[in-house]
Amino acid sequence: MSDLQPRISTGRRFNPVWVVPVVAIVVGLYMVIHTKLTEGPEITIQFNTAEGMEAGKTKIRYRDVDIGLVENVSLSDNMDKVLITAKMDSDAADMLRDDTRFWVVRARVGAGAVSGLGTLLSGAYIQLDPGAGKSYRKAQFIGLEVPPLTPADAPGVRLTLYSERAGSLNAGDAILYNGYKVGRIEGVTFDTDKKEMRYDAFIDAPYNDLVTTNTRFWNVSGVSIDASAAGIRVTTGSMETILLGGVAFGNLPGMPPGDKAVSGTVYKLNASYQALQEDPYRYGIYYVAEFEQSMRGLERGAPVEYRGIRIGRVERILIKELVTQREAGAGKPIPVLLYLEPARFGLEDSEQSVDAMRQSIALGVTTGMRATLQTGSLLTGALYINIDWYKDAPAAKADEFDGYPVIPTIPSGLGRLEQQVGSLLDKLNALPLEPLVASAHTALSTLDGTLASLTTTLESLDNILREEGSKALPGELNQTLVELRKALAGLSPDSAVGQSLGNSVFELNRTLRNLEELTRTLSEQPNSLVFPTTLPADPIPEASPQ
Amino acid sequence: MQGDTAASRNLASCHLCLKLADARLHECPRCGEPLHLRKTNSLQRTLALLITATILYIPANILPIMITDQFGNSTDSTILGGVVLLIDMGSVPIAAIIFIASVMVPLGKLIALFYLCWTVGRAKQSDPRQRTIMYRAAEFIGKWSMVDVFVVSILVALVHLTGLLVILPGAAAVAFAGVVLVTMVAAESFDPRIIWDQQDNSNE
Repeated sequence: MSDLQPRISTGRRFNPVWVVPVVAIVVGLYMVIHTKLTEGPEITIQFNTAEGMEAGKTKIRYRDVDIGLVENVSLSDNMDKVLITAKMDSDAADMLRDDTRFWVVRARVGAGAVSGLGTLLSGAYIQLDPGAGKSYRKAQFIGLEVPPLTPADAPGVRLTLYSERAGSLNAGDAILYNGYKVGRIEGVTFDTDKKEMRYDAFIDAPYNDLVTTNTRFWNVSGVSIDASAAGIRVTTGSMETILLGGVAFGNLPGMPPGDKAVSGTVYKLNASYQALQEDPYRYGIYYVAEFEQSMRGLERGAPVEYRGIRIGRVERILIKELVTQREAGAGKPIPVLLYLEPARFGLEDSEQSVDAMRQSIALGVTTGMRATLQTGSLLTGALYINIDWYKDAPAAKADEFDGYPVIPTIPSGLGRLEQQVGSLLDKLNALPLEPLVASAHTALSTLDGTLASLTTTLESLDNILREEGSKALPGELNQTLVELRKALAGLSPDSAVGQSLGNSVFELNRTLRNLEELTRTLSEQPNSLVFPTTLPADPIPEASPQ
Repeated sequence: MQGDTAASRNLASCHLCLKLADARLHECPRCGEPLHLRKTNSLQRTLALLITATILYIPANILPIMITDQFGNSTDSTILGGVVLLIDMGSVPIAAIIFIASVMVPLGKLIALFYLCWTVGRAKQSDPRQRTIMYRAAEFIGKWSMVDVFVVSILVALVHLTGLLVILPGAAAVAFAGVVLVTMVAAESFDPRIIWDQQDNSNE
């Protein structure tokens, strides 16, 4: 049927079934080697507490992706810290840099936000925020106790706000621009050196463009109620800011926006928008004015004016510095710290303007620029400081007090009046009043005698008048006057005497006119009495020789 | 019990249709299946598969068999870890079932089959009847160790409350299923008749 011969192989043939365990071994070895090769670095993170952390269970996450696992939770050598040893994934090794931050995510319930609810049931986990630093493969980290609010690489701008009072701001509070949340407060610290609150603020991109060098920040926490003649006005921010507090910012109207802010810029946090409007400028310069008057009525924040234009405010009275700086002595002038703002002059709100103002004041002091303490209100006695030029001011030289330049002062206002009245009274005091009074007294007694003799004279006069002859005198006087009138009536122009008198006068006039003509001729030509008069020829106009 | 065997009469049983045919034929006259006296390379094949199963048994116990993702927090559990956990929780009977089905049975089967393979070449060893019983028991009980795999599969299929509780199979589940399957194939490829062949040879 078939001529094919069977080929009978002898000896042990390789059985293909052995491929199966070989494959199993190869796959197993591959997995082991792969795991070993892809094994990430082991890191140690230091925390204050290991609350919620469990070895083998607690994950290390970045953007909610597991990138590591806590392998061991132990105490540090001196038992005051917790050391978390964790195995990272190999592809997470690049995230371990100098400034990589770790913190524990637990359920946090705040008034503003509830976060990490998932961890209530699943347990805490460690969040990683990769830094931007260069050095890779760091193995020791110190974990944050409080989670940072913004990742290190979040786009935006980080600012620092400072204020004298804490207000009601906490980390996480909103930063609003026109009522819209564009950032948040990240941290609140108290600067013990400067005695002021410092807030770390973060403005998210793209809203960081809204922050410029001339931007102002103010607190919008809570509710502000203004009751005035115009009615009651209630100002609030958003609901969140009513409950929690917040910060608003914006540019003041009529002010150039300035350059875009860079991270790290420091801004003042004003207590309210009203406070900001009263004190909207950033750059200013301190001066000291020393007054020899009573400071009663000079309040902190009292205006400093230049001819009625507000240019600054009274910062405070340097009474402490006076006591510590100068040897105790009566009658030393009291230094007052003034804060002058060039922007109130219409200058740009910048350092350059401050320099310009410093120079112009230094120049002004040599030409009679003086500060005076004036009464702003006679009712309350409130004082303000006026700066003006006084031609008659005594020369002053540039001085310094406690590091501040000094603006020389002259007494003025009520103070000046007081001085003048005082000097007047001094002069009055110096007058030789007693001899004056004595001589006046003598004069008066002499006058007394004179008056008595005058009385006698008058009495004798009275007696004369009372005689009969004296009484008839008016009647005779009357008769004489009647006769005089009659005599005068005969001389009136209508009477004959009057007419002939008029003619005589006319004739006399004519004679006099002829005589006048004769006199003129004689005066022009005295020889006309002897020689006949020749009249001069009429003048003929001719050209001048030139 | 002693008597003629089919092999001694040059009769071979077809692996497929079990027809008894002349061993000199190459193919079963009924179904055309290749005809052998004994399963070919039975011992070698069984040993290879047993070694594979042993290798697979290592990851099956080291790696997590089940990943419980509860509120975003995933918990890995290995077979032995689950048993310990169940004992801690007080469910000793369930722990016992899982321990028997997932640890004892596959391990016992592996040991039994290795023992059988080892004893095949040694005549004086224990009673072949005992060994046959051992083989039957191993073959019978082997499939029950799939209980663990089934438990995991059913849990994975049923418990899928996304976000609350999700159960995922771990790598060990695959390895463990592999152990069970490979040992079953190994038991299948072992021809118990070679136990008796040895017996017959030694008797003769």
